[in-house]
Amino acid sequence: MKTTNLFFFFMCVGLVFYSCEKEIQIDVPPAKEELVVEASINQLTPTLNYVLISKTLDYFNPSLSVNAVSGAAVYITEGNIVGNDTLFDSGNRTQFFDVLDTLIPGLYINPFFTGNIEKPYLLEIELTDGRKITGKTFIPKPSTFDSIHYWFEKNNQDTNAFFYLQWMDGPEQNNYRMVLKKGFLPFLTGWGYGDRFYTFDDSQINNKPRPFLMLNPFKYGDTVNIYLSQIGRSEYLFWDSFRSAANNGGPFATPVNVKSNVEGAIGSFTGYALTQTQLILRE
Amino acid sequence: MFFKKAMKTKLLYLLLWVVLLAFTEQLQAQKITLSGYVKDSATGETLIGAVVKNPEGNLGTVTNTYGFFSISFPENTPYFICSYLGYKAQKITLNGKSKTYQISLIRQNLEEKEVVINAERLDKNVRSTEMSRIELSGDKIKSLPVVFGEPDVLKAITLLPGIKSGGEASTGFYVRGGGPDQNLILMDEAVVYNPSHLFGFLSVFNSDAVKNIDIIKGGMPANYGGRLSSILNVNMRDGNNQEFKSNGGVGLISTRLSAEGPISKGKSSFLVAARRTYIDVLVKPFLPADIKGNSYYFYDMNLKLNFILGEKDRLFISGYFGRDILDYKSQLNRAVQFNFGWGNSTATARWNHVFNSKLFSNTSIIFNRYELFNDFQFGAGGFMVRSSLRDWNFKSDFTWFPKDNHEVKFGINYTYHTFQPGILTGNIGSIQIGETINKQYAHEYAAYLLDDFKLNHRWAFNYGVRLVAFQLVGPYTKEDFDLDTQLPNGNKTNYSPGQTIAYYPRFEPRASANYLLNEESSIKGSYTQTYQFLHLATSSGAQFPVDLWVPSSSLVKPQMARQFALGYFRNFQKNAYESSAEIYYKPMKNQIEFKPGASLFFNQNLESEMVFGEGLSYGLELFLRKKTGKLNGWIGYTWSRTTRQFDALNNGKPYFYRYDRTHDISLLLSYQFNKKWAGNFVFVFGTGNATTLPDSRYAYRFGVDPTTGEPKFVIVDKYGAVNSFRMPAYHRADISFTYMVKQTKKFESSWNFSIYNIYNRANPYFIYFLPDTETQTVKAFMVYLFPILPSVQWNFKF
Repeated sequence: MKTTNLFFFFMCVGLVFYSCEKEIQIDVPPAKEELVVEASINQLTPTLNYVLISKTLDYFNPSLSVNAVSGAAVYITEGNIVGNDTLFDSGNRTQFFDVLDTLIPGLYINPFFTGNIEKPYLLEIELTDGRKITGKTFIPKPSTFDSIHYWFEKNNQDTNAFFYLQWMDGPEQNNYRMVLKKGFLPFLTGWGYGDRFYTFDDSQINNKPRPFLMLNPFKYGDTVNIYLSQIGRSEYLFWDSFRSAANNGGPFATPVNVKSNVEGAIGSFTGYALTQTQLILRE
Repeated sequence: MFFKKAMKTKLLYLLLWVVLLAFTEQLQAQKITLSGYVKDSATGETLIGAVVKNPEGNLGTVTNTYGFFSISFPENTPYFICSYLGYKAQKITLNGKSKTYQISLIRQNLEEKEVVINAERLDKNVRSTEMSRIELSGDKIKSLPVVFGEPDVLKAITLLPGIKSGGEASTGFYVRGGGPDQNLILMDEAVVYNPSHLFGFLSVFNSDAVKNIDIIKGGMPANYGGRLSSILNVNMRDGNNQEFKSNGGVGLISTRLSAEGPISKGKSSFLVAARRTYIDVLVKPFLPADIKGNSYYFYDMNLKLNFILGEKDRLFISGYFGRDILDYKSQLNRAVQFNFGWGNSTATARWNHVFNSKLFSNTSIIFNRYELFNDFQFGAGGFMVRSSLRDWNFKSDFTWFPKDNHEVKFGINYTYHTFQPGILTGNIGSIQIGETINKQYAHEYAAYLLDDFKLNHRWAFNYGVRLVAFQLVGPYTKEDFDLDTQLPNGNKTNYSPGQTIAYYPRFEPRASANYLLNEESSIKGSYTQTYQFLHLATSSGAQFPVDLWVPSSSLVKPQMARQFALGYFRNFQKNAYESSAEIYYKPMKNQIEFKPGASLFFNQNLESEMVFGEGLSYGLELFLRKKTGKLNGWIGYTWSRTTRQFDALNNGKPYFYRYDRTHDISLLLSYQFNKKWAGNFVFVFGTGNATTLPDSRYAYRFGVDPTTGEPKFVIVDKYGAVNSFRMPAYHRADISFTYMVKQTKKFESSWNFSIYNIYNRANPYFIYFLPDTETQTVKAFMVYLFPILPSVQWNFKF
């Protein structure tokens, strides 16, 4: 009887979940090269103020590294909003430099730059070949965590923690990016150094305490840094499309190209109003 | 506007005038009109498409969906003949008194089949005005090779030319370049909005309860409408009104069981059919403890009651209820539970009334509902999401036989739609969440008139009009959204109950003609214009339970298609073989697609995610079918081209539709070896689907590990022209054998053995890419679903 049951089990499981895959060769014709920019500024952490410039690669080009662009002139200018106008004064212009080019090609930074909340910013890039990239962003007001809870299943600290964060979502339209990172360092060295990424807006919960619950991969005893940012609408639309573009795969996926908020390149210039906190997950 | 209206009115008058003129055109000899029903003598089941003809064979008709016929013969006709494939033909003497007949045909046994079938006339293919229409019996569907031993209606129809499958994991089908939502799927007249179980692997139709299916892919007569591409009628069996019978089947993943019998012998019957998958039950004992709570299953039930109230009245009540349930319990946190389900419910009450030998009517009241539910619990809270689409439908259809060369059909149809795109309720901690996407209400009206008219021996016409209207009404609050930010701009319009939000009256002329070249061949042509007011919101190629149906509105215009078809039809060897060659040209307007990456779930502003464009499909279909004899089957070949053009996609340039298939071949061969053994062989070939692939990539979301200095990136694909790449061709061969263990009047038992994909072809399901850090390259992988796959099924009847 047991043998019969086992036979059925393997047959059923095997048949229903059977799928196979094989490597195939695809001939994709070369595409036109495009510039790519990732520009980030915030009011809190200098390591999250940077501009990275690169170029697209042919799909099957044998390189997984960044196709970096060095030697560009990169400027970020803080502006002012006067009535309905946004004014940028060249006196408030800060140049970003590729000082770490030998280590991280294409990365432009200025350790003395600090963003200010509720200020607009202009990004201007000119490449050595004369091509230009421009973009605008705005650093909104940051949110403040009202409460943070986490808990483990009773008598089972081996399981992952629940996180329950809450902050007040104001009456205005708000857009958020949140990144979580395990480790003792209380700052991120680039947003990509995070472990978990979330992009969301307040279309479902507006003008009330905003709960955010996560079932995350952190365990008892871990140190976790939480970075919550308010971002502008066009920046949100970019990161929301990026989420789809970066996780695209599977039988029902649709091809997604990102919704850039810069001109002359693919990518985004995002001003983050950052709030951060660190937790050590203990009872 | 006024001019258009006046034109339409004139056209209508013209049509009526033509009809009346035709009635008075010919001086008729003295005739007698006969009518009645044709049924199976053993079960009382009515027979659809049975032939009734005079002894010379020059006057004939076929029974309708309810087994009813009406025909006029010269008064001196001594007898007429009634025949049906697989049954003994019957000679019925005219007694001069009775004008209504209840004809019971007796099923043939195998030895007799050859003789009688050759005597039977099967020239409907050549003589009828119908084109682009194919019927399949429930028995035929059950005998085809299957995956997991489960016969499937929708898989079977994709073996027909011009009908393409969405793939192995899809019951969606594509007819002459149309999308899956452009097919109207009717189960005993009730609309089935989502015909799939098991995420598209199987359809909702239980083969035990199916009497026959009938698909119209072009030349749609005026009594059908509502979708652009095709009408699939799935007719359920009435139930045996002579004796109690049970039958069923045990397959690899599910069991079917049905019971039928007389409520009052010869006068009323019932049929109950049910099936359920049991893979969750079989697998459960062997699952590790931490995932024991996970399961998936589906079940469905069909019920039919059939009452013969008298010579002139019949009542049918039928219903369907089906659910797919997916339960999930997290292995990491046991408090996390997820319950996801969806399903259709339908109920139909139909009343057939024969006013006299020349006038037949059917009146139906139909309810159908498709719903989706999703419950998520996570210890400190949970939420539920519900969405649904509900219809109430009233229709009344009349068939009038005013002269022996006219069959006039007319009727009305009204549907009240209620769309509930989403309700979200729940709590996270102490925070209550409650969100509702506004309900929408709509009226859909249709009225039609058509005449099937035989002008003379050579010419026959089917022409008619269908007037349709769609009215989206309040209560509704319409919010305006900013196009750039996709956020509400603060402007709202409130519509009171019944107030019109959008109104689309439309006119659909239909015409087809048949010219008989000789007794064995004819030329047919047809023109169809159709509108569609309901649209499926899906961003993927497959139909998913979470996909939403959305109504036409002030922004979303009704979809429209015109179809021109021309065909040559020829039968060979006394109608043993039938063949056809059809060409079609089908331009489509107001086609809908979603922007890449569109957010469809719980989106108040779904319309902002839509883009609108045009479509075009044209092609050639060749079909050769042998319906009778020990060896029967068909071969179909289609050459076609289907494109879409949207200003907002692919830089406005036309692109291939995802299911554009240049070449498509289907071969089905069935052979009855002897009384015990029968076999089927299927071969299909199709050009690979068009797909969009990335043409370049870039690194993004920069980070650096401060301990190692290693930069971190995500590789993001950048996509090029839409659907510019072709997947590898799809082809496979299947084989099945049915072994009849025992066949007596009391008990029947048979085994069905099938091998799917006998030469183990790796057919593409999808392609994905993976960066390989060792070789510093991106590699392409093709996932395929079913390798060679044997299955077995036991069927029984007692």
